[in-house]
Amino acid sequence: MKRKILTLTVIALVLGPLMMGAAVAKTLKIGTMSPLTGPYAADGNDIANGTRTAVAVIEAEGGIPGYDKIEVVSQDTACDPRQAVAAANKLINEEVVGVVGAYCSSSTIPASETLAEEDIPMLTPASTNEKVTERGLKYMFRVCGRDDDQSKIAGAFIKDYLKAKTIYIVDDKTTYSQGLAENVKKQCDALGVKVLSHDHVNQGDKDFSAVLTKVKQANPDVFYISLQNSASGSLMAIQARRMGLTCPFLAQDAVYHPQFIEIAKEAAEGSFLTFGSSDKNTAAYKKYIAKYEPKYGKPGAYSGYSYDAAYVLLSAIKSAGSTDPAKIKAEIMKMDFQGATKMIKFMPNGDSGSDYVIWKVDNGEFKSYWNPTTGKLF
Amino acid sequence: MEFFIQQLINGLTLGGIYALIALGYTMVYGIIQLINFAHGEIFAAGGYMGVILLSFLAARGHLETHPWLCMGGAMLLAMIYCAFLAMAVEKVAYKRLRHSSRLSALVSALGMSIFLSNGLMLTQGVYDKAYPSSFAQDGFNFGMVTVSYLQIVIFLVTAVLLVVLNILVFKTRIGKAMRATAQDKVMSSLVGINSGKVISLTFAIGAGLAAAAGIIMGLYYGSVNYTMGFVPGIKAFAAAVLGGIGNITGAMIGGFIIGMVEIFGAGYISSQYKDVFAFIILIAVLYFMPTGIMGENVDDTRV
Repeated sequence: MKRKILTLTVIALVLGPLMMGAAVAKTLKIGTMSPLTGPYAADGNDIANGTRTAVAVIEAEGGIPGYDKIEVVSQDTACDPRQAVAAANKLINEEVVGVVGAYCSSSTIPASETLAEEDIPMLTPASTNEKVTERGLKYMFRVCGRDDDQSKIAGAFIKDYLKAKTIYIVDDKTTYSQGLAENVKKQCDALGVKVLSHDHVNQGDKDFSAVLTKVKQANPDVFYISLQNSASGSLMAIQARRMGLTCPFLAQDAVYHPQFIEIAKEAAEGSFLTFGSSDKNTAAYKKYIAKYEPKYGKPGAYSGYSYDAAYVLLSAIKSAGSTDPAKIKAEIMKMDFQGATKMIKFMPNGDSGSDYVIWKVDNGEFKSYWNPTTGKLF
Repeated sequence: MEFFIQQLINGLTLGGIYALIALGYTMVYGIIQLINFAHGEIFAAGGYMGVILLSFLAARGHLETHPWLCMGGAMLLAMIYCAFLAMAVEKVAYKRLRHSSRLSALVSALGMSIFLSNGLMLTQGVYDKAYPSSFAQDGFNFGMVTVSYLQIVIFLVTAVLLVVLNILVFKTRIGKAMRATAQDKVMSSLVGINSGKVISLTFAIGAGLAAAAGIIMGLYYGSVNYTMGFVPGIKAFAAAVLGGIGNITGAMIGGFIIGMVEIFGAGYISSQYKDVFAFIILIAVLYFMPTGIMGENVDDTRV
């Protein structure tokens, strides 16, 4: 008898707090998926950190009524389509109400289809491939710009500002980088800029000397570098300058990361990049950076976009007063406000518009350089 | 012609790095018939050690005033550190398995590789680490051909290390002990050679060379990353097999061949199949000459 009482007491002591916990604390779960390991881990962690910052900001503003806590469940995609689908399934099992991610377009596309089966809204902060929002998915949103717009800006800059007659294009064969490179090639063909060659390297390559020797021999007016991440971009820049290539470089959003300048140093100087025009003087940006920088350091290219994506999702849940996907979507479509990175207003297909401009690396910093709408320097 | 010469220089640089790593694979295989898959991570650890030491020196201004001294010192320290790291790996992961099946040791090696690469990720972070200075980035121009000072440094360091290794293995008592252990562990211990020590030493030497390759790679490409050990590790392994695994001269030649094939394949055919060329050569050699170019059982040169 004594032993039975003892056993029951122990069970009660162990289970009690758990059950109380379940009864009292109500947690809202949102998911992130991005490459937390592998060659794209830097950008992937930026995305998770941007989302966490948005949660911190929303919680500081009073949180979401009916919930005590907002939890971020982050999953690793490793930029691998199969792992991205597995990550999506894990997030479904965790019962998240919305997902911020992924980074690589090749991960976002299959993962969003898995999430769509459960009607879970997905907001991508970084996947710029056109197909992401062109598959008729009901709950797919994009906070960043699109590659077809990005390549138009690149084409205009090459033709109108650089007055280039020839271009050499290199990509690293991902859905994103190759898609973008092909768009740029189409633009150049249409504008009468001669594409000397469109070459490919492998993802994660470190040595580009062979292809750069070809570029040097072809002697183009512009060298277009379409790579999936900033570390590869810096390797390319260092080796190209060392090889004695003097033509201007044009890269894109995935290379836009403080790491690019940090590694390539003087080799990065003068490089041009296409990236969204982010105004660092808005109140929204200041609110975001005040929370982000002390904790995670200098923001990466997609920190701000993932902050905005998570902020949109959480404010939609807050104003809908519900986690029903249809109601969340209705609130998201109503939004029209200045986010940390851009004006946020969604179109029926889930896009939020592109605002690409040309940036230039100048004295170890990214500076906005050329405005495509006016065709003038900033 | 200029295109050819430029690619030749590119290939020699890359081949030198592969050769340095391949030696570690081949020496360990020669002595205990184990393919040490953790070797690529030792190489990465060498690259990280270089970045840590050079950043430390750069912060104190020494790198500006004495670049060559700092470089040499950092390389030496990283080599010593990695030598101890490899000896520790051997003690922890392989020593107890010496008398069990070769498969258990191989699985242990794979585990160690994952452990070390994740260890690097957790301690050093997921971001690429930049080398403090773009040391010796300038170079000479001969018409269209550019040779950077750094490439010359890489040639010289690689050549010196290869010569030193050859002297060590073929001209000294330690080398003789290593060769004897490789031939017959039981017999060599009967004549008074401490085979445990010799095996540790082999790991240490291989790791030292890998660490040197790690620093060279970091300087040449400007940054290191925790995943950097995997692909060069696999290619160097291919180089070791190509040369005839267990054979030191073979590993050196194999490294240069893999580097050249990769660069010329990328330059003349297509850069997207760069990795394919290296492995096509490997498959072809294994098919037609299963023991590799230098043959596995030329007893004299085996360690």
